[in-house]
Amino acid sequence: MTREEVFKTLSEVFQDVFDDETITVNGTTTSEDIEDWDSLEHINLIAAVEQEFGMKFTMGQVVTMKNVGEMADIIISQI
Amino acid sequence: MGATFTSFYFLCFYACILIIYYLIPPKTQWVFLLLSSIAYYLLSGNGILILYPVCACLAAYAGIRIMSGTDNLKKKRAAMAGVVLLLVGSLVMLKYVNFGINTVNGIAGIFGSEEAVLTGFKFMVPLGISFYTFSILGYVIDVYNGIAVPQKNFFKTALYGMYFPSILSGPILRYREDGEQFFTHHPFNYREVTFGLQRMVWGFFKTLVISERMRFVVDTVYGNYGDYPGAYIWLATVCYAFQLYTNFSGCMDIVLGMSQTFGLKLPENFETPFFAKNISEYWRRWHITLGVWMKEYVFYPLLRTGVFTRLSKNMRERFGKKRGKQLTTFLAMFVLWFSVGIWHGGDWKYVIGSGLLHWFYIVSGELLTPFFNKFMEKLHIDPKKRWVDVLRMLRTFFLVNIGFVFFRADSAADAFYMLKGAVSVWNAVILFDGSVFTLGLDFIEFTIAIVSLLILFAVSVMQQKESVRERIEKKKLPVRWIIWYALLFYTILLGNYGPGYSAAEFIYQGF
Repeated sequence: MTREEVFKTLSEVFQDVFDDETITVNGTTTSEDIEDWDSLEHINLIAAVEQEFGMKFTMGQVVTMKNVGEMADIIISQI
Repeated sequence: MGATFTSFYFLCFYACILIIYYLIPPKTQWVFLLLSSIAYYLLSGNGILILYPVCACLAAYAGIRIMSGTDNLKKKRAAMAGVVLLLVGSLVMLKYVNFGINTVNGIAGIFGSEEAVLTGFKFMVPLGISFYTFSILGYVIDVYNGIAVPQKNFFKTALYGMYFPSILSGPILRYREDGEQFFTHHPFNYREVTFGLQRMVWGFFKTLVISERMRFVVDTVYGNYGDYPGAYIWLATVCYAFQLYTNFSGCMDIVLGMSQTFGLKLPENFETPFFAKNISEYWRRWHITLGVWMKEYVFYPLLRTGVFTRLSKNMRERFGKKRGKQLTTFLAMFVLWFSVGIWHGGDWKYVIGSGLLHWFYIVSGELLTPFFNKFMEKLHIDPKKRWVDVLRMLRTFFLVNIGFVFFRADSAADAFYMLKGAVSVWNAVILFDGSVFTLGLDFIEFTIAIVSLLILFAVSVMQQKESVRERIEKKKLPVRWIIWYALLFYTILLGNYGPGYSAAEFIYQGF
């Protein structure tokens, strides 16, 4: 899977989790850019991404990820 | 000496430390801070109790050494679990065993038992246990998760765990962000030291001028609430909101300012919380480091356990995607808010006032928001209007105050009685007929309190845009001096402190 493909799939996961079809994510997207991405939704998002890509984030990654770019890097390193 | 930062002896102690800190070779600064922290703890209360934080640091150090010396996941997990069990176990033993015993006795009383079923224990609880335990626990878990550098020097671990400005009232530290700076060299920096001292003066202003004044009204009404129903309770509760805020955030200004004079940057614990527009936002602005800690070490791990993952799946299948997700989150939040409440102390008044009541607010908010938005739409109200935001702030402040009634009352039962008293008597006239001047503050004292609160409000509004200290720094020298000396003398002249006056300790030092 290329990085672009990962972002495309991630955009679909984000759209599904946040119920907003207009969301598209890239390497610099952070929780500041998506209104509903708060600490309550963070774990739901993580679980949905894990399910989609068939991988697992460690707890350390869950709390230190700064943007979607870092999320994509972790996904690529595991699939 | 007394633990409180507002005591004259403490200020002498601090002044000596600050001078020596910049006179000694920079590589010995951290050792000197450790020795100062030990001296502070020994002089602050019962000296022997220093063994508790020392043992906690020793356990953390041992755990961290084991974890960093092996690749065996089971061994790592065992080391982490051992430290967590030991630290949480001693916290529960010292702070919460009697809460369990009292609750069992209370339930037995309801069922007719006239004598206590269980006998309580008497422990000497070490100062700051809730704060240093959390700072150390977070560090150990972060090392386990591979996101914090394992410290190889026990004495450095001990400084992180026992650093004297923050050990008694926080902020709760995170080693991965705040830890390493303790051990680097800090040459004298005039700007940093001046900024730190300025922040300390601001903290003293909040504590000695505002909080200590509010205390009179609060103590009068809460101490005899049977005699002060209706508007008296509302007034005293609002005064308590400002007492607690200026006390705790003033203490944080002193701690962070003091640290800045040592060249250390500690995490912020407050961000004008009474400007929050809803309860979730309030908790992102009030006692920030506790909220972050609970999120990272209780809420997230709980939601990622097998039990919650399965539950989430079941709920989604049964109640649909959105509702199912909500129900699981609400359940995890219940555990989170119970933990936040009980962190403050083993008493139902904390569990309700600082925990479950806020859980109820947030859950209700989540469920009612769609209806509320539709209602606003029907009335053609633009939710982005400034006046709507102000109404939201007032609503949040009101809800938070209900929690403060529990927090300040002697018990949860007293709090319920007071809330009943607050709504069953209509006597708003006491706010205008001079009765308020009989509550411990006369007309002049009340005026000083109001003027000081207005200063606080003006500064808080300015803070929303930029750092007030940086803004003052840009002014010409005479203006800067006038502002800071005016604040200093205002605090010296109007603060409640000194011999013959028994200033209350910082409220959060009890936790």
